[in-house]
Amino acid sequence: MQKNGLFALAFHSLIVLFVLAPLIVVCLVAFTPQNTLSLPWDGVSLRWFSAVFHHPDFVASFWNSARLALFSATISTTLAVPSALAITRYSFKGRDALNALFLSPLIIPHLVIGVAFLRLFSFIGATGSFGWLVAAHVMVIMPYALRLILAALNGMDLSAEMAARTLGAGEWTVFRRITFPMLLPGISGGWLLAFINSFDELTMSIFVTAPSTITLPVRMYMYASESIDPMMAAVSTLMIALTGITMIILDRLFGLDQLLVGKG
Amino acid sequence: MGFLHLERVSKLYGEFAAVRDFDLEIEQGEFISLLGPSGCGKTTTLQMIAGLVAPTNGRITLDGRDITREKPARRGLGVVFQSYALFPHMTVAQNVAFGLEMRKIAKAERDRQVAEILSLVQLTTLADRYPREMSGGQRQRVAIARALVIKPPVLLLDEPLSNLDAKLREEMQFELRRIQRVVGITTIMVTHDQAEALSISDRVVVMEGGRITQVDHPYSLYEHPKNNFISSFVGKSNFLAARAVKETAGVSLLVDNTDLKIPATGNYPGGELCLSVRPEKIRLTDPAGGMLRGSVSSRYFLGNQWLLSVATPAGEISVSVANLGAPPPSEGKVTGLAWNIEECRILAAEQEGILQS
Repeated sequence: MQKNGLFALAFHSLIVLFVLAPLIVVCLVAFTPQNTLSLPWDGVSLRWFSAVFHHPDFVASFWNSARLALFSATISTTLAVPSALAITRYSFKGRDALNALFLSPLIIPHLVIGVAFLRLFSFIGATGSFGWLVAAHVMVIMPYALRLILAALNGMDLSAEMAARTLGAGEWTVFRRITFPMLLPGISGGWLLAFINSFDELTMSIFVTAPSTITLPVRMYMYASESIDPMMAAVSTLMIALTGITMIILDRLFGLDQLLVGKG
Repeated sequence: MGFLHLERVSKLYGEFAAVRDFDLEIEQGEFISLLGPSGCGKTTTLQMIAGLVAPTNGRITLDGRDITREKPARRGLGVVFQSYALFPHMTVAQNVAFGLEMRKIAKAERDRQVAEILSLVQLTTLADRYPREMSGGQRQRVAIARALVIKPPVLLLDEPLSNLDAKLREEMQFELRRIQRVVGITTIMVTHDQAEALSISDRVVVMEGGRITQVDHPYSLYEHPKNNFISSFVGKSNFLAARAVKETAGVSLLVDNTDLKIPATGNYPGGELCLSVRPEKIRLTDPAGGMLRGSVSSRYFLGNQWLLSVATPAGEISVSVANLGAPPPSEGKVTGLAWNIEECRILAAEQEGILQS
């Protein structure tokens, strides 16, 4: 393998530092015993973490977010599997258009989608409905699930399915016993990525959540726009930790490079 | 009528004919190879027999039953894919049992049959492994066991040995033949490797551009190839341009740029002809005593034999000499070449260059 030169090494280190520095600072600040956002020079304290867990709004919002992400990731993955199969396995009129439509929420700004849903929800009287919030999230996170499942399908050896057919399996049996298990890494990767994206989504959620359905990112945003104290850093640290752990699981199970770069 | 009968089977993709008018009768228990370069339609033919590709025209019958439009699941043929197509999420035993499960065979009976077939392919100890934990040769055996366990009337093999390294390929070749003999199953193998086709088949079907050009037993295919393509594709051949000349006693073939005449029988209207001689049929003689004379331009030692290239007025001739004692003349030395005249084939010249690739 070729080694990087000194200059390239310094350049890369600076970029990594630039990306990580804010996160590191936030995580450090979360451990401060002071009442202000400051680095914990004079001792380490968990008081702000404890404050988060004793703040009923934050706890409620966390559960809202978790429930929302669970439902919307599951629904979007369930929709993404047949969509991906249709797109990769069959050629039909409007296939490319369908593919573009499914992936379009990645391109349209969430702000625009948020305003659109706000109008729609007040029009049909769905404001404050958890079900409709799930629907909105399904739409914006489905491209992530779809993309991973598409990549898995493209990398799959079709002859295994053919072999199953020659051994006497019908179409449904082939899917249940062969295709689905072989796609499982891609499907669960897609689910996790969709889950993270739903859990982190702020821009659109600001417009479509009601007081009873406020998600954790929205709660943080609201809290931070009124007051700034180290509790925000503690919440952020918890979210970074949660996302990080999920990513590590993802990497251990399937290899992140393969999942995020995709083969398709 | 044969056990498996293909009648004028064709597969067209728009204007392009992948397979055209494929006619073949296969007897029960026969081992048939479909041999040809890539793109000759051999795999498409196999897939049509398996039911994975629908023929455009023609009829396929198996033991008198028309299976042309039957789904692969109903045909019940055993197929071994080039990539082996093992189910990666199942163990060896589960892979092999899959076909039996589909046939709703009770667990106890299933286990018995799986154990039996695994012992046939010598994999008994690896039954609980996953495909990824096995070598190429072992996976190959699993694929064969999985195809055989359903007791199919016909076994179809798509380039079964092409993913194995040379030494293993040779071993598996004979292993394949052994298993086929033990089970006594009618087998069709697709291959682009002529050595493989010759060594284990009862009959070889040579395909070019979607058509059958010769069906023969391996020995007669090698000794009596029907055209230049076959004589260069099946084994190696030297081609000598020649023309027919009338003699008082009949016809002779005069090799271009030489005064070498070979007596022939038959009628050659075009005049332009081509002689093909296999490298191993040519003997080295002393410079004066041969049919042709030339100097050795290269000499390679291959262990069991020597491969020489000799520059003669008729062109470069390759000669293979068994390693029996003293080494043959080295580069630059002049030697004579001779062969028995019945060892060379006379082919029409216009095919050369087009088909000899």
